[in-house]
Amino acid sequence: MPNQHNNKAPLAVTGIGAACGAGFGKDALKQALFGTENLFSFLERPGRRCEKQDTPFIGIELPEPIPTILPPRIERTVGLSGRVAVSVLHEAWHEANIDTVDPGRIGLVVGGSGLNSREQAIAADTYSKKPAFIPPRYGHMFLDTEVGAICTSTFPIRGFCHTVNAASASGVVATLQAMQAVSSGQVDVCIALGALQDLSLIDLQGFRAMGAMGSPSFASTPFEASRPMSQDHEGFIYGEACAALVIERLDTNRAHYGTLTGGAQVADGNRGPEPNSQAQQQAAHMALQQAGLHIEDIDYVNGHATGTPLGDKTELETYRELGLNKAWINTTKSIIGHGLSAAGAIELAAVFLQMQQGQLHPCRNMNPALDTSLKWVGTAPQQHIIQNALKFSFGFGGTNTAIVLQAPSSEGKSQHA
Amino acid sequence: MDSNAIFQILINEIRSIIPELEDHPIARGDAMADLGVNSMERGDILVSTLEAIELEVPMTQLFGPRNLGELADLIHAKSAQQ
Repeated sequence: MPNQHNNKAPLAVTGIGAACGAGFGKDALKQALFGTENLFSFLERPGRRCEKQDTPFIGIELPEPIPTILPPRIERTVGLSGRVAVSVLHEAWHEANIDTVDPGRIGLVVGGSGLNSREQAIAADTYSKKPAFIPPRYGHMFLDTEVGAICTSTFPIRGFCHTVNAASASGVVATLQAMQAVSSGQVDVCIALGALQDLSLIDLQGFRAMGAMGSPSFASTPFEASRPMSQDHEGFIYGEACAALVIERLDTNRAHYGTLTGGAQVADGNRGPEPNSQAQQQAAHMALQQAGLHIEDIDYVNGHATGTPLGDKTELETYRELGLNKAWINTTKSIIGHGLSAAGAIELAAVFLQMQQGQLHPCRNMNPALDTSLKWVGTAPQQHIIQNALKFSFGFGGTNTAIVLQAPSSEGKSQHA
Repeated sequence: MDSNAIFQILINEIRSIIPELEDHPIARGDAMADLGVNSMERGDILVSTLEAIELEVPMTQLFGPRNLGELADLIHAKSAQQ
């Protein structure tokens, strides 16, 4: 049961759930990060397949079947994003062992919007010619409350539940909101869930049209297409994902992964995809100040690092201007793709798992790095004990976030095994 | 299609939407609420039944029946009008 007495203790992550192309659970994510299996292929889900004359989209889809704890009558009504969320939350919930917490003191923040757009596109296609037969349930299923509502109707979460959107920074913004909810005393435990962004074909085509999504040069070699911060990068590659983090005040008697000691979000005034290094740097400075750390204290950076030419270039400017040339840096999206709404959350999970493992995952396709003055993890894992990590996450619409993660103190037995 | 055939379609849709009722006997005198079917599920069952027999009637015209037999009779009557 969480410590409710020391209300000044730092915020700890006591449970993690994850799903990525390698499968369900943290072990699958670890296997993806440190193994050598390629996860990238062509997108095949109904509602994502291209016409024969079009170039198929490269990406990563979750393996079927999706593990479930839902009864069949509920399961049948829930979309992909909701079913994956329940599975991921179930893992995080039980690891954090919060069954005995007063449900009224537990909150949930879901990150992401438009989470069911592939299934909505299929429904629009199915029912546009027979609107009289639309299942009544669509009246609530199209809302962005749907994923959170499935979670709260399955788990005893009765403090609050809401959904926040910050495009590709949604997972981190959900985490920042959950941190605030615990810090302020609104709840004792808050779960941040980066939900699966279930892209439709038209969403994919939109990303391709704007030039954000790769990758024409690697159309026949999908495993080479996701190459953030590397020469020949042409855009991000989508990867289905979802992750949940259970956040509560640190109790050194309870196992935890580490602490979240600072975090910030800065709006830069852009409507579209344009990145902004000044705002990225500002977010980092604010997060570090909150954590009581200096830039030289950071020994590992988990970048946003999508693989879009302008995004990578701008983020590299941020690293250089901040003086992050002594910290190890790697690119999680080179392995599991870009989960969009889920990206920030699953990448935070990846940082904690690397902290736990005592090694850093490799960067796929980093050959050669765009900026060799920085300390990249190469194409093989790197032994390193993370002490203080800085995670960046940015989103279309001018969102810039940075968050500081610290390893469990060496005093006391506290790290999840 | 007579009322009994429509009743059989209703049963099929109930069991499709609520797999937990697969082996549960369902009679014309049963009300869906008494079988544990909630309001959203009742809506799904009704619409999928109407779709199965290709009958377009406003849902508001199907309020009133007290059990599945009366519902089958009402759907049959609406069907006969078209």
